[in-house]
Amino acid sequence: MAGRVIVNLIVMSSGVLARAFAQAYRQALQNASRNGVAHETIHNMKKVSKTMTESEARQILGVTENAPWEEILKKYDSLFENNAKNGSFYLQSKVFRAKERLESAAKKGAEGITGLNI
Amino acid sequence: MTRREAALILGLRESATPDKVKEAHRKVMVANHPDAGGSDYLASKVNEAKDVMLGKTKGSNSAF
Repeated sequence: MAGRVIVNLIVMSSGVLARAFAQAYRQALQNASRNGVAHETIHNMKKVSKTMTESEARQILGVTENAPWEEILKKYDSLFENNAKNGSFYLQSKVFRAKERLESAAKKGAEGITGLNI
Repeated sequence: MTRREAALILGLRESATPDKVKEAHRKVMVANHPDAGGSDYLASKVNEAKDVMLGKTKGSNSAF
């Protein structure tokens, strides 16, 4: 009699435990996916902010805030050539992106001025 | 800076030996030396890349 009661208890408690574990596992999966999503969005945000800022572009080319476009081009040419000869491709591409960034900024500035003229 | 970026800057594999790193650092540094028309910023990046490749710093995301 006592044995049957104990066996019954064990069976019931194991059922409860199994259900609890299943629930916990589901919850953990949910949390993991949520964390994964958050992680990815943060990663994406980082990627977006990875596009070069104008100040970084100026630092890369080693020009000041109010350097004329000719000076930027001169710096760019020498840096690009040097890195093509015996520098690294990565730095060369960084130099190119920096020039591109400053070019677009300069163009925007010019457009703004013409816009004012109209 | 990650080890991957450091390797890209020096034009090496991530598994390059210290000798290769030193040689590549000298080569890239000559091309980007501030005294020879290079920029300070790129030169500092090249030095940082060498340190990362030689394991002197663990990159900027270390807690210590």
